[in-house]
Amino acid sequence: MTRALSLAAVGVRFNDSTILDSVDLAVEKGEWVGLIGPNGAGKTTLLRAITGAVAFDGSVVISGTTLSAMKRRELARSVALVPQHPVLPPGMRVVDYVLLGRTPHLGEVTGPSRHDLDVVAAVLAALSLSGFADREVTTLSGGELQRVVIARALAQESPILLLDEPTTALDIGKQQTVLELVDSLRRERDLTVLSAMHDLTIAGQFPDRLVMLSGGVVVAEGRGKDVLDPELIRTHFGAGVRIFDDGFGGIVVVPVRSQDDINASNPRPTT
Amino acid sequence: MTGEEIRPSHLHWWWFAGALATLGAAVLVASLLGAVHLDASSVVASLVDRLPFVGIDSGLTVREEAILWDLRMPRIVLGGIVGATLAVAGGAYQGSFRNPLADPYLLGVAAGAGLGATIAIVYGPAIQSAPFGPLPLLAFFGGIGGVAATYAIGYSVRAGRTAVTLILAGVAVAAFLTAVQTYLQQRNAETLREVYGWILGRLSTVGWTEVWMVLPYAVVATVVILAGARRLDVLSVGDDEAVTLGVDPTRVRLVVVLAATLGTAAVVAVSGLIGFVGIIVPHTIRIVFGTSYRIVLPLSVVLGAAFLILADLLARTISAPAEIPIGVVTAFFGAPFFAVVLRSSRGLGS
Repeated sequence: MTRALSLAAVGVRFNDSTILDSVDLAVEKGEWVGLIGPNGAGKTTLLRAITGAVAFDGSVVISGTTLSAMKRRELARSVALVPQHPVLPPGMRVVDYVLLGRTPHLGEVTGPSRHDLDVVAAVLAALSLSGFADREVTTLSGGELQRVVIARALAQESPILLLDEPTTALDIGKQQTVLELVDSLRRERDLTVLSAMHDLTIAGQFPDRLVMLSGGVVVAEGRGKDVLDPELIRTHFGAGVRIFDDGFGGIVVVPVRSQDDINASNPRPTT
Repeated sequence: MTGEEIRPSHLHWWWFAGALATLGAAVLVASLLGAVHLDASSVVASLVDRLPFVGIDSGLTVREEAILWDLRMPRIVLGGIVGATLAVAGGAYQGSFRNPLADPYLLGVAAGAGLGATIAIVYGPAIQSAPFGPLPLLAFFGGIGGVAATYAIGYSVRAGRTAVTLILAGVAVAAFLTAVQTYLQQRNAETLREVYGWILGRLSTVGWTEVWMVLPYAVVATVVILAGARRLDVLSVGDDEAVTLGVDPTRVRLVVVLAATLGTAAVVAVSGLIGFVGIIVPHTIRIVFGTSYRIVLPLSVVLGAAFLILADLLARTISAPAEIPIGVVTAFFGAPFFAVVLRSSRGLGS
């Protein structure tokens, strides 16, 4: 496998506070790496650094080219982001929204070509969105919207796909549908996926490899069963959990209350 | 899979043709009506006669020709340029700031330009006759200063920032600049009439000089804004996402806002303060034709021109022979319209 993405000693600071500190990360081509960590660990900032949206120290190399040497449009043709909270322009239709994904491919003056429209039509069809093309984005349900935002990212035809907690707003069925979709698209299109993930069980099921961030540093990295460790999770999330093997190679993380907490909130009758 | 099944929004040629026809009708009506009645077919003939390689006898007398070409047409053309520029600048500000309420007059641009123009009138010599004299220049830098102050104050608000925050900042900036302007004006009472007439907005005291004075600025501003239409559509998903799509939001905003301010300041310098054009025209187009800036901006140029020509027609005919300041006419229609936009845009974040 070849290296799709490699970060060396990446640091991000805002107003004297360190958000990311010397993060090293390598993602192979075609691999799916899940970023986990408590709120404020720096997951979103790491993804934003890779899209060029925040300034950072250290180096990010994308498919062999240093990010700082790339033009914005070139970077956008290499890396697409599905944001956690997409901004929905009032009155914009799905087809126009997905067509925005072609922006880095369009000329300075010319409009979309036949090819650009074909790409958009194909992406809409692949995500079963053809019937939604004329709907306004602000009228979509959570699951529909998530597919539309992914469609925009796919229309960029970038080999690297970043997903920032793509399923947080979805119910359990939609979560699975969206992540299965990402997985099948990854295989069909040979995409490299780096996703920030909120739900640890989901993180234990889909990515090939996990990276745990906490306080802006990488605290664990490896296969799901190595990273999803009760002690690590207690230390960095402050949560008591039990870990189960689902019997199919995935991992299930279940939050459990500690006996002390249960005793404290339900004092035994003393009589 | 072919692209035939998808229909992205775009500017249909017949929409644009319809807008041009509206503009043509507005020009014709405005050139017919006035204190002296001109015959419609003669006016059309006279207009055609001015085209290159065409020679038609219009049948108008020399005096009627003079009324048409030295009195009415300069005013109509100037009104068209001013209206087109204000409308397209309004659309440009709305796209740049992702704010449906943005308008040259609500962002402190006009108040800043007004202060600059007042300084030029009060302290400057013989400004009206100089095509590149101090008035447009001072109005321009005043406009830039006004929008910069509004932007700085509006975006220094961290918590609870909404579409309205920027507008409130604009109100504060405009109030301050207007206070300074009023002070200067009162201290120099001998120019009071000139300054006051300018503030109310007028297209009434013009010949072709003003047209040639403002045209280059208006053309440059309009071309730059239209060239940015596609990028303004990208900005509508927010700065962070625009970056991931390969667009530099800061640079787009800088270029488009500079162009819009250049155009606004130039037209304000010759026509005074004519408000609400930048709200009414782009929003009506959005409601009727769609929200893409590739639709809104080109149509704003044409329909903005038609709108102001008709507003000026009202201003000079409704209580003829007296004239109402055109700024009064646009505010009369614009203020209620603004209230409607405010209602429908409730909850929009900035």
